[in-house]
Amino acid sequence: MKGIARRLAGHLARGLVMIWVVLTFTFVIVSIMPGDPVQAEYELLLQQGHSPQQAEAQTAMLHRFRPTGSVLEQYLEYMGSLLRLDLGQSVVTRVDVSTILGEATRWTVIPVLIGTVLSFVLGVLIGVYAAIKRSGKLGDALTLSGSLLRGLPDFVVALILAAIFATLWPVLPRSGAVNILYEPGFNLDYILSLGQHAILPIATYAISSYGGWILAMKSSVVTVLGDDFILAAELRGMKRSVIFRYIARNAILPLFTIFALSIAALFSGAIFVERIFNYPGLGMLLINSIGRRDITVMTGAFLLITAAVIVANIVADMFYTVIDPRVRRAGDAA
Amino acid sequence: MTLTTPMSPDGPPSVRIRDLTVVYRTAAGELPAVRDVSMDLAPGTVTGLVGESGSGKSTLALSLLNAVQPPGRISAGSVDIGGLGDVVQLRGDKLRQARGGQIGYVFQAAQNSLNPLKTVGKQLLDLGRSHDVKDLRALVAEARDLLARMGLDGARVLDSYQHELSGGMRQRVGIMLALVLNAHVVVLDEPTTALDMITQANILEIIREIHAERGLTTLVITHDIGVVAEVADEIAVMYGGRLVEQGPVRAVLGDPHHPYTRGLIQAIPRLTGDIDEAQALPGRPPTLTTIPDQGCVFRSRCALRMDVCDTVDPLFQSTGDRMVACHAVAPAATFTTTTSESEREMTPSRAWSGIGSGRREPAADGDGVVARETNEGDSA
Ligand SMILES: Nc1ncnc2c1ncn2[C@@H]1O[C@H](COP(=O)(O)OP(=O)(O)OP(=O)(O)O)[C@@H](O)[C@H]1O
Ligand code: SF4
Ligand SMILES: [Mg+2]
Repeated sequence: MKGIARRLAGHLARGLVMIWVVLTFTFVIVSIMPGDPVQAEYELLLQQGHSPQQAEAQTAMLHRFRPTGSVLEQYLEYMGSLLRLDLGQSVVTRVDVSTILGEATRWTVIPVLIGTVLSFVLGVLIGVYAAIKRSGKLGDALTLSGSLLRGLPDFVVALILAAIFATLWPVLPRSGAVNILYEPGFNLDYILSLGQHAILPIATYAISSYGGWILAMKSSVVTVLGDDFILAAELRGMKRSVIFRYIARNAILPLFTIFALSIAALFSGAIFVERIFNYPGLGMLLINSIGRRDITVMTGAFLLITAAVIVANIVADMFYTVIDPRVRRAGDAA
Repeated sequence: MTLTTPMSPDGPPSVRIRDLTVVYRTAAGELPAVRDVSMDLAPGTVTGLVGESGSGKSTLALSLLNAVQPPGRISAGSVDIGGLGDVVQLRGDKLRQARGGQIGYVFQAAQNSLNPLKTVGKQLLDLGRSHDVKDLRALVAEARDLLARMGLDGARVLDSYQHELSGGMRQRVGIMLALVLNAHVVVLDEPTTALDMITQANILEIIREIHAERGLTTLVITHDIGVVAEVADEIAVMYGGRLVEQGPVRAVLGDPHHPYTRGLIQAIPRLTGDIDEAQALPGRPPTLTTIPDQGCVFRSRCALRMDVCDTVDPLFQSTGDRMVACHAVAPAATFTTTTSESEREMTPSRAWSGIGSGRREPAADGDGVVARETNEGDSA
């Protein structure tokens, strides 16, 4: 367990550094962005008859970028408020950024997770099958489908799905997260509408990562099948079910290392996918906030996406550590 | 022990291999890695199987469990094991139960024979459950005992993962797993390759001990004739998928008849002897694609090659105290290949004539002396 704690600490340290880099990067981008909305706001307040002090206080409180003062001062103020987990308010709507993010996060995290789990389960099962039938036609076809799908970027998958199921054969809604005619709450119409709207984004996430899982699982199973200990288990007369479990557990293990990568890829893919389906998630929020120069929301969205990727990495690695004794016990001994 | 032992209660089982041919599918079609091998493992004996790399030893050994791996398959012949019948005909659960339950196998790569994600103890329990062992506690006690005899801390080893054990420890775990179910036929494919000399001697002694104690019929595969001299009662020599000589260890090592056996023995440098005495066998062993499909498989490296060797397969037949396949040794060198099964039976047939010994004069005497010294050294 000492080993696990040590790894966790290492991850957190690296994660914090990564967050710092991303936040600094955001700050730099915002500073060089043309059409500074803070400056505009400041000037607006002056025009409305506020004193410069009042205007400055108001804008600083709103979004941490003092329209006056040195760049260093701005930077320190910006980092300081973020350290206090104070994300400020939207420049445009004056709603708390944390509220906006909380709202948007659901629409990204839930479809991405459902899509990942779906594609993982399907990809792993089909990958096992493709490995066992690797010398047959069906196995070849499955492998080929995996290679083709893996090559498709997720926004292409999204466009194809949108074209087929929302335009050519319009059985599913093309945009939004729910039909606004329905009363939000625990009623059948609302829930059905939620589901219908979620199908295409989820299918996009699932399809675009499923090819990777098939190929990864197939090659992993083929490797394990060739391992000496599987033959040894057979020569010892182990039951098929036992041997199957040996194969499955050993083959699935390396997949956890790419699980984190996959989730990270889907989160970044969400930026395009949500735009295509006009789905109100984090990606959509990010794009909109950039378009409206809503820097506080933009910074918050960047921060959250980064944190999500880091957390996905940590969770995957912890899982890996717990199920692989070579990592677990080695850490303990050290 | 509460383990079931379906073996005949009257002593160790016999193993009779008849006309066994095992082929591998290659780009050039199905090629035999073991061809027409007939061999008996007498009940209660340790037989050492030697031969250069690629001669088909592991393939033959896997056939004893009907476990030749694709792209290979047993294309002809039978392997009769006392109490089990012909394992080549066994299928499904019967075959699975026979593996491990009645035939223990120590895998050539025994260092990698464990699931890296489970402790040895958990895998032992998997093994016990696979074979419907009722008293798992007794099984664990038995395993601990076997490990202790091989010089390991049983409790610690059972609680270890593969990566926490050294190569030699893993190999001993492999041996333990082959013996723990009380199998009566035990096949060890190079059981001591990962071990240092002292551990090797120690392990071989234990194998012998357990062999005698439990009344096993044992086949030990090795590159090392020294190992054979140490543990085996019988020696069998393979070359290019054929059995070329088989007989009592002392007789064969002291006075090898087949030119290949002689070459193998001469190639061993001895601690006490002059290094110049060791002569490497010239040439290379054949591969699947270069094994000639008629005539003697050894002829390209044989100093005694005759015309008949190019066209006629020498029969594996009895020459008194052993079986040999060589035209220069067989009393009837011109025998046609029509001779049948009875020729291969271990019936004492034509007495060993003087022809062979006349030919082998100086070399044979020299070898005899050295090999005998080796034997005496071991038994002392
Ligand atoms: N899976 C396979 N496919 C094709 N040929 C094979 C396969 N396995 C073994 N062979 C061939 O069969 C022959 C016998 O192999 P085998 O492993 O039985 O030899 P061996 O005597 O055990 O050798 P070693 O001492 O190196 O273990 C070799 O020529 C080898 O190349
Ligand atoms: S049969 Fe001929 S070639 Fe083969 S070992 Fe005997 S003498 Fe040599
Ligand atoms: Mg071998």
